[in-house]
Amino acid sequence: MTDPNNSSSIDRRAFLKGTAAVAAAGVGVAAGAESTRAAVTALKPHYGMLIDLRRCIGCHACSVACKAEFDVPLGVNRSWVEYIEKGDYPNVRRSFLPRLCNHCSKPQCVSVCPTNATWKRKEDGIVVIDPDICIGCKYCIQACPYDARFLNPKTGAADKCDFCLHRVTKGLEPSCVQTCIGRARIFGDLHDPESEISRMIANNPVTVLRPEMGTQPNVFYIAADHSDPHTSHAHGEYIRIETHRRQAERR
Amino acid sequence: MLNRRNFLLLGAAVAATGGTVGAGALTEAKEARIKGGKDFSPRTGKERRAVPSACWQCVSRCSIIGYVEDGRLAKIEGQPNSIRTEGLVCAKAQAGINQVYDPDRILYPMQRAGKRGEGKWKRITWDEALDEVAGRLKKLRDDGHPEKFMFHYGRMKASSSKLIKSVFLGTYGTGTVGNHTSICEGGKWTAQELTWGKHYDNWDFDNTKYVLNFGSNCLEAHTNHTSVAHRLVRALADRRVKMVTFDVRLSNTATRSTEWVPIRPGTDLAVVLAMCNVVMSEDLHRGAGEAFLEFCKATSEREATTDEKVAALKAHFAQYTPEWAEGVSGVGAATIRRIAREFATTRPACLISYRGAVAHYYGAETERAIQTLAAITGNVDNPGGRCKAVGAKWKYPKGPKDKPKAKKLKILDGFKGEVVLPTHHVSNQIFRMIKDGSAGRPEVYMWYCYQPVYSNGDCKENEAVLKDEKLLPFTVAVSPFYDESSSLADMILPDATYLERWDWEDMVSPNQVPEYYLRQPLIKPLGEVRDFGDVCIDLAERMGMPLGIESKEAFVRESCEKTPGVKEAGGFEYMKANGVWHDPEAKPKYFSYAKKVKAEDLAKDGVVFDEATGVYWNWHKSKAKSEEEALAKGYAHSKKAYKGYVGQMIGAAVYKCFPPDAVNKSGYFEIYSTIMEEKGFAPLPSYKPIPEHEAMKEDELILTTYKVNVQVHSRTQNCKWLSEIYHDNPAWINPETAAARDIEDGDAIIVRSAVGKLETHARVTPAIAPGVVAISFHCGHWEYGRYASGKKAVNGSGEVGDDGQWWTNFGAHPNWIIPNSPDPISGQQRWMDTVVQVSKALVV
Amino acid sequence: MTAELTWGMPVILYLFLAGVGAGALTASASVLLRGGGGGFGGSHVEIARYGAFLAPLPVMVGCLALIFELGSFEVGNWFRWINLYMTINLSPMSIGTWLLSFFIMVSMAYAYTFVPNAPFLGEWQRPLRVMLAWVSVPLGIATAIYTGILLGAMPARPFWNSPILALLFMLSSISTGVAVILLFRALLHRTSTPEAEQAAKESDYLLTATDVMLIGFELMVIFLFLMYAQLTIGNVKEAMSVILPGGDLAPLFWLGVVLIGLLIPALIELYYVIPELLYHRGFASPRYVDIVVSVAVLIGGFLLRYVVVIAGQVTGPVGI
Ligand SMILES: Nc1nc2c(c(=O)[nH]1)N[C@H]1C(S)=C(S)[C@@H](COP(=O)(O)OP(=O)(O)OC[C@H]3O[C@@H](n4cnc5c(=O)[nH]c(N)nc54)[C@H](O)[C@@H]3O)O[C@H]1N2
Ligand SMILES: Nc1nc2c(c(=O)[nH]1)N[C@H]1C(S)=C(S)[C@@H](COP(=O)(O)OP(=O)(O)OC[C@H]3O[C@@H](n4cnc5c(=O)[nH]c(N)nc54)[C@H](O)[C@@H]3O)O[C@H]1N2
Ligand code: SF4
Ligand code: SF4
Ligand code: SF4
Ligand code: SF4
Ligand code: SF4
Ligand SMILES: [Mo]
Repeated sequence: MTDPNNSSSIDRRAFLKGTAAVAAAGVGVAAGAESTRAAVTALKPHYGMLIDLRRCIGCHACSVACKAEFDVPLGVNRSWVEYIEKGDYPNVRRSFLPRLCNHCSKPQCVSVCPTNATWKRKEDGIVVIDPDICIGCKYCIQACPYDARFLNPKTGAADKCDFCLHRVTKGLEPSCVQTCIGRARIFGDLHDPESEISRMIANNPVTVLRPEMGTQPNVFYIAADHSDPHTSHAHGEYIRIETHRRQAERR
Repeated sequence: MLNRRNFLLLGAAVAATGGTVGAGALTEAKEARIKGGKDFSPRTGKERRAVPSACWQCVSRCSIIGYVEDGRLAKIEGQPNSIRTEGLVCAKAQAGINQVYDPDRILYPMQRAGKRGEGKWKRITWDEALDEVAGRLKKLRDDGHPEKFMFHYGRMKASSSKLIKSVFLGTYGTGTVGNHTSICEGGKWTAQELTWGKHYDNWDFDNTKYVLNFGSNCLEAHTNHTSVAHRLVRALADRRVKMVTFDVRLSNTATRSTEWVPIRPGTDLAVVLAMCNVVMSEDLHRGAGEAFLEFCKATSEREATTDEKVAALKAHFAQYTPEWAEGVSGVGAATIRRIAREFATTRPACLISYRGAVAHYYGAETERAIQTLAAITGNVDNPGGRCKAVGAKWKYPKGPKDKPKAKKLKILDGFKGEVVLPTHHVSNQIFRMIKDGSAGRPEVYMWYCYQPVYSNGDCKENEAVLKDEKLLPFTVAVSPFYDESSSLADMILPDATYLERWDWEDMVSPNQVPEYYLRQPLIKPLGEVRDFGDVCIDLAERMGMPLGIESKEAFVRESCEKTPGVKEAGGFEYMKANGVWHDPEAKPKYFSYAKKVKAEDLAKDGVVFDEATGVYWNWHKSKAKSEEEALAKGYAHSKKAYKGYVGQMIGAAVYKCFPPDAVNKSGYFEIYSTIMEEKGFAPLPSYKPIPEHEAMKEDELILTTYKVNVQVHSRTQNCKWLSEIYHDNPAWINPETAAARDIEDGDAIIVRSAVGKLETHARVTPAIAPGVVAISFHCGHWEYGRYASGKKAVNGSGEVGDDGQWWTNFGAHPNWIIPNSPDPISGQQRWMDTVVQVSKALVV
Repeated sequence: MTAELTWGMPVILYLFLAGVGAGALTASASVLLRGGGGGFGGSHVEIARYGAFLAPLPVMVGCLALIFELGSFEVGNWFRWINLYMTINLSPMSIGTWLLSFFIMVSMAYAYTFVPNAPFLGEWQRPLRVMLAWVSVPLGIATAIYTGILLGAMPARPFWNSPILALLFMLSSISTGVAVILLFRALLHRTSTPEAEQAAKESDYLLTATDVMLIGFELMVIFLFLMYAQLTIGNVKEAMSVILPGGDLAPLFWLGVVLIGLLIPALIELYYVIPELLYHRGFASPRYVDIVVSVAVLIGGFLLRYVVVIAGQVTGPVGI
């Protein structure tokens, strides 16, 4: 079988221009709308997620919802939940760390891509992959500091969480957010100071994962347990971290 | 077809316009997002067809919406309009698709070709199958032995239960109908029937200020999981409600609680009694508790004053000091005191309990003590407390008027004298009774939504009985799946999965407002599978005893048209379109017991007053032949007198109080149980140590079992998305306990009990109390399909599997070494009492 | 620490072979230019010829191997890799793609100029050879360095994320390039006239001496690589521990890369170089020694890529 898409990058460049136009148009109209708020809408949305770990019960509804939404093959995950069990009897606790693509503002996955098959959408900040252009060189998979990417065995292309682009662009919540038993996941527009996510971030101490990587993640956590085996073992304290995926160890 | 690339384009366009729309009402930017009820294909961007229905992965039966993409079920989500789940569903529901498209699922009737259990099958037509079954059943019936047809079900609820049990089996005339409640939480129900009459307690987390938990893992399991769990999180996170969890291991519920109190297995009773001691001796019952005592029976005297009741309780609980309880349970006396005080003085407080507390010897007594603790602190059926369950009350077609008097084999309630109050039967002893034979044996044994071999204790014993053609001449499995039991059947009737069938549903509402909801097929059933409800109707036809119901769908439709409220809302069509209905005017139901009984109800024909108990009852509804007999025997001792219960006389007034549901208890909330007394037990909740634990040598441990958040019983292990997350169940063991046996994390170990041994590996973790070893239920299948056991079903559906399966270890099933042993009070299977020895396996 | 490998043998081979080719071209071209591009005595034009002929093939094979690592190829999109040529951006892989394509073209042309009175060239043959040589030196070095940058560009992979890696790969490339020339000469070279013999001996000396020097540099750079890692904290230090004593890859690294690949060849070569170098006793290394030495160097060069590619993937950032 020959590759039907090896001219696709050209179409896509056209498409990117196209969207730019559309988006601009959108902004135009928005700015036209009166009320001081218009100024804010003039800003294109910039989507992010906040996971409030005071509410997370480690139920995996998010992981499985994501598997189902995209029929993600076995062995790879767009979304997963890590368990961190820590302490000494009887003062032991288990905490949970749901993981997904951080839709970084400085996405290293994007900067290493030789084909521009992956990019951060100007219109909403979502980092997407075009499987029709991706050659599956896996460079981006190496470059992501969060192990958020994988090679999809069905498409042969890199894959990862896309913030449920097909849902959020139609006004829905991402699948994992919709089902979250703890209502721990909040998805929304970081550019809109009135959005729930912006308000939550403004009113709570939040952290991101591996900030030192300079990726500027857009997935934020409240009360995340950042402990790591290296450091805990150094203190001779019991710790067990489980990722509940084929890649059993966090990396 | 829209390919991904121009879809991205399309998405972008919408986004941009979306932005402008947002300009109007920006504050609602987030709120504006649709909370569900819609889904789109990530491939084509096309909207998926949404069909409201109900989940059934676990018994909670939450409302769902199925999304169908060109004829295939693509996605399952919660039902945003459900007042129970408020739009959420758990991981198991999300994986429901895996049930329908299970590559190892059975799609055609099968008849065994080789020896029983040999794994040789031949596909047969429904006609062949049903003619054979109907023939055998008809013969039994004509010979006057309908009871020799034993029907044994696991989870059969709502309309399925009504159609299959009440209508079909009722019309057929067998009373040899087994359930699975005794391996579930039957002991809890018996205790509730003794104390407040009707079983099932709802926990009002939306209004509570404090949660005290004995052995419930409601953030991972529980019979009303999603509805209850998300409310609990809300209480903990939004209202900073304090929660204390007693558990032998750190469940996810325990870790999310404010405080985890590890406890020696099977000793919750001691701790609860000690808390009653603290409450009474420190007069913490004053106020709400005292007021509630008016509706309680706490002494032998039905007209005892509250002071007399208080005195009696103080006297009784005096023996159970926290210091004493510390010795029994390992929980510090100071801790017990502190928590008892917190619980009694924070109002309202919610006392919750589940199988961890009751799946033991005297588990029913533990639940009785728990009910008592709730009562004396005034936390019964009140906002924020432990409430009497509220659920939908459906009307349904009853089938033929004249049903024969059911005959039954006396094999449902255990051996003589083994269990005194088997109000939910003793299913864990049924195979033993069949083996024993003295009470007769069924000639046709059929099971439904049940795994006799796998889900009871002592799998070896169960397998032997089910395999033995002398004990069970003809066996029929009704199941979509090729499990450890159906693989031993003579015939398999492929049932429709819950995503392919009709039901009306009625599970309890956590907010005390009944919700009526529907289950409807999301896709047309695969292969030749048929809903067993329809099969029963067909069987009845073939036996010449027509039920007058043309299909399960018709049964559900008529129920919708009959049921007040649903009918007015638009009946069947409304339910099909909306899935859920509740009365918007309805107020949450609390304090149901305080309702006065109308004088005319007392004047009705057959209603008599019983001096001994103060109960007004209608003897017509009992088994009594005449009013004289009824009066002579009295309420307490007339068979089925409770069915005629009308009200309880308290002082001068007659209250609805706590109507009995299974035993002839009075209308009082019976802390003091005359029934227990007459059965030779202490009338007030009392402690009895677990014999096997008393006799333990100090190198022995107690085995406990539990459930995990992404698996259900024996039924979800071939759901690839769930088993990918959880497919192995190492034995939890405390570092100290492990060190004593020089066992290290991951070591192969052998766990021995009186009935057998099993090999597994150790998970050495401080998240479990010393002296305990915990092995989850679920894993260790040797059939059920590739994802569950690595073994493809010999007669599987041929649906393509996922070749990405990467796990090859399937865990160890604890039931091989847990004996089938009932609680002497209720018959509850004692899942969490087994004494074992654990040693390092010699690796060769 | 266990981690699934994203890149496997194809990438390892690619990095190694590209290095060998780049090295051979660089060596060939520089020798040619040093000798004034002439065929006269002492110009070592023979080395240049070997290098020129040996350079293109490994690089082409390496690139071919890479295609087998592509997910798109695995699922049957045989020609999806063409998308690499649909754009150029700052991704090291994009730059590399164009760089290697250019390399292959230039090295082929360069090799052609060594074909005895090659058709179409006429009197242009030598000037063209020299011109291409001028291009080849920087091109070879760039390609050699690039193999290191490809890995070095990612903070997410602390083991790789160091400028020294590029330097190390460059030196290793050239030394393996020289080694491959040495090897093929040893295998194919036939003795002819005495003066030809003399020239050969000199070339031999030149190669061996260069190699010793390169190995010396390499050892220094490896030392730097480790020291630098040791003296930092966190990610890099953690990552480096897999090749330090006790680490999973330590044996392979110390025995394979350092001992077999560097120390042993260096010592043998010194044994033969010293006499000439210090006492001008005349250089004479038997054929089999050349073979042993060059093979050892090539093995070492391969194992270096192997260890580095694996180590970078089984280690990652510390903390979350
Ligand atoms: N995910 C999931 N949910 C389910 C089910 C399922 O299979 N999977 N099954 C459904 C059904 S039918 C039922 S009945 C419910 C059961 O719901 P639960 O009873 O809440 O769950 P279990 O895991 O059976 O037991 C609860 C806890 O008891 C603890 N325990 C064991 N021994 C003791 C003890 O001596 N004292 C105390 N205090 N705790 C102890 C266990 O560690 C466990 O955490 O769940 C329902 N929901
Ligand atoms: N060790 C240990 N044992 C336990 C427990 C424990 O905590 N620990 N929990 C106990 C509890 S609480 C319970 S309730 C029981 C539950 O035990 P069971 O009543 O046996 O229930 P399941 O295992 O959920 O399902 C039984 C079988 O029903 C079949 N089935 C699934 N879906 C359908 C369907 O749509 N139609 C039909 N006809 N059949 C279907 C499948 O073959 C499945 O194997 O297990 C008990 N056993
Ligand atoms: S669904 Fe929500 S609560 Fe459950 S694990 Fe995911 S984030 Fe946590
Ligand atoms: S998390 Fe990884 S994949 Fe996602 S944007 Fe950031 S770098 Fe890229
Ligand atoms: S795998 Fe695809 S997306 Fe990732 S870098 Fe290579 S081409 Fe780009
Ligand atoms: S946003 Fe969508 S794609 Fe991303 S994790 Fe959640 S469900 Fe998966
Ligand atoms: S709790 Fe049970 S019924 Fe509810 S969604 Fe989960 S599996 Fe389905
Ligand atoms: Mo149960």
